[in-house]
Amino acid sequence: MADLQHLPYADTAAFGEPDEPPPAEAPTPAAFDLERARVLLAAQLVVDGHNTLGQQLDHTHWQDLLYGSATLDTDLPRIQAGGVGAQFWSLHTAADTAPDVVSATLDRIDAVTTLIASVPEVLRLVTDADQMAEARDCGRIASILGPVAGAALADSLGTLRAYHALGVRSVTVAGAHWTATGLTAFGESALREMNRLGVLVDLSGATEETMDRALSIAAAPVILSRSAARALTDHPDNVTDAVLRRLRANRGVCMVSFAPDQVRHADQPASLWDVADHVEHVRALAGPESVGLAGSYGTASDAPHTIGLEDASCYPNLIAELLHRDWSEADIAALTWGNAARVMREAQSPPTAG
Amino acid sequence: MSPASGPSPEVPASGAPAEAREALAEARALLADFPVVDGHNDLPWALRQHAGYDLDRLDVAADQTGRLHTDLPRLRSGGVGAQFWSVYVRSDMAGDDAVSATLEQIDCVDRLLARHPADLAPALTADDMEAARAAGRIASLKGAEGGHSINNSLATLRALYTLGVRYMTLTHNDNIAWADSATDEPGVGGLSAFGREVVREMNRLGMLVDLSHVAATTMRDALDTSEAPVIFSHSSARAVCDHPRNIPDDVLERLPANGGVAMATFVPKFVLPAAVEWTHRADENMRAHGLHHLDTSAQAMAVHAAFEESHPRPTATAATVADHLDHMREVAGIAHVGIGGDFDGTAFTPSDLADVAGYPNLIAELLTRRWSRADIARLTWQNAVRVLRDAESVARAANRPPSLATLASLDD
Repeated sequence: MADLQHLPYADTAAFGEPDEPPPAEAPTPAAFDLERARVLLAAQLVVDGHNTLGQQLDHTHWQDLLYGSATLDTDLPRIQAGGVGAQFWSLHTAADTAPDVVSATLDRIDAVTTLIASVPEVLRLVTDADQMAEARDCGRIASILGPVAGAALADSLGTLRAYHALGVRSVTVAGAHWTATGLTAFGESALREMNRLGVLVDLSGATEETMDRALSIAAAPVILSRSAARALTDHPDNVTDAVLRRLRANRGVCMVSFAPDQVRHADQPASLWDVADHVEHVRALAGPESVGLAGSYGTASDAPHTIGLEDASCYPNLIAELLHRDWSEADIAALTWGNAARVMREAQSPPTAG
Repeated sequence: MSPASGPSPEVPASGAPAEAREALAEARALLADFPVVDGHNDLPWALRQHAGYDLDRLDVAADQTGRLHTDLPRLRSGGVGAQFWSVYVRSDMAGDDAVSATLEQIDCVDRLLARHPADLAPALTADDMEAARAAGRIASLKGAEGGHSINNSLATLRALYTLGVRYMTLTHNDNIAWADSATDEPGVGGLSAFGREVVREMNRLGMLVDLSHVAATTMRDALDTSEAPVIFSHSSARAVCDHPRNIPDDVLERLPANGGVAMATFVPKFVLPAAVEWTHRADENMRAHGLHHLDTSAQAMAVHAAFEESHPRPTATAATVADHLDHMREVAGIAHVGIGGDFDGTAFTPSDLADVAGYPNLIAELLTRRWSRADIARLTWQNAVRVLRDAESVARAANRPPSLATLASLDD
């Protein structure tokens, strides 16, 4: 199993302190649940759907990430301590709508692949489900390139195929002009080409119309790489109950974001209890085979974070909470690794791919 | 192999002097052992323009004489063993448009290779080239034509390398921010600081620095900077035909020390002095009709044809190209010459080098000029393979991290 101990500080908890003062009742999982969570995670690591560390790499040296960064919520010791076995690295850029989005995206791909190549003892670039499992079994964090922004396709399927050839395995459709109302004809052909190539269609942030159309034409399971439930928190990046119900038939996965704005109840500070509520809601509607996790880490440690999930080492806290809520070990295994790994596999050999 | 019905008339047709017939037979025998590595072929752009990349609409497995200079049967009969397929995009494209179009060109080549695996072998290294030759397949490499394809981004350069691009011409017909073109006004005066960093990064990657199309000042700066041998993927000798697209003697003289190779091109308007003036007037005519002077669309070719009706076009031949090779060999040495036809990248071709089936005519011409079999093997195959191998060695030895330099950090 993955060796979580071979780096200095691997057991170290959060380096940074959250800005928000902890509420009177800070969620502290029972020691018993936390211990069980760690045991479970050792067997079924987390596939995390969303990390924006790629945007930080211009001013972060890989050695800081290897030995621990005080200024970021993500570094390699904490990802390992968190029980992450596979990570989608977002390739979105600050210039997602700028005229140079293709170059900017290639620049992010270069930065992330250079990071991965710099720390081969921790990260390994993977492009399919077999490689994911193999990397995990070698104690490496399977690193999946994606998503790129839909706008970065530059309306060109050749460009999409170039991203695929460079190792990219997911594309955010939201924000591309071909998703303005549902999907245009080009948008549909882009999705079909993603299905054919085995590139995951990421619907997070898309309009309900676009999600509906995408689910209607999808020849493979889709993902929502960073969405919580709209029914609990009305946020544009969250997903409606209707779409969650459709996700079950599609066999896709909704990876529940930990971002505080997406999970908070009313004006209360967001806590891991809120995230657990969202995870349970998604499981109830989409089914236990269509729920996953997305830490949405990769920002400054002093940026707003959800209490109890302040950095990439905190996944065991959430698992402990779910155990406390009587989740079965099978459901937790599906949540952390099984569902996302299955979607990756099915998307790469979909029954109707041309 | 199919009957090559290309329009390349074999100079010594039946009834030609026995000596010429023998030379052609010997040329073919030589090419069977040491096939041509051609430095530049614009088939991908032709497929974009004429077929919207629909490889069914313009199937290169069939004879495309009259539509394309290039198809598989004619590559075979021409004795081509390795081809650098150009992933050129027009130099009036800039920024993301140029990058995205380049990615589409790369995609086109990849699809072409996937479609014809028995004929075209994807090649990334000198070893791959040798393996393809041994297997009787045409080693297929990719070359980018112009620094505009990387949008001032070394990460984009690295992406092109990862996607299989093994040379980049530093400019096309227009200056870019960091390098001067041969066919533009002086800009940065050769290579800027960032331009030199691009060259070093190409050296680190093992991507050949291609100095066709660049200003002589850029050639000299690149030779001063490059740790690896450079190439000229499709340029001839300026001393033989004074055109800015050709290589001045002082630059040819530096190739032995650099180890590079100058691949002579066949384009009549660069190699034949009489054609230079004619082309100047033809280009004016194209522009007067509101067309880009490099346009090869049906409409543009019709405008060309009308001009030609009233202005007979001077005709280059294999002998014209051989004149360049003789000179390049004399100045740079036999180890530093090669061939870069520029097929499907030029409207006109020499009469007996009309398409990719024509190379044996050039080799026959050189044989009649007393080039030895060993000389010809170097010209066609060995020099180009050696240059890629040497660039790979330099890359292995470089052992430095990827450059994070930007245009702003070095040139502002």
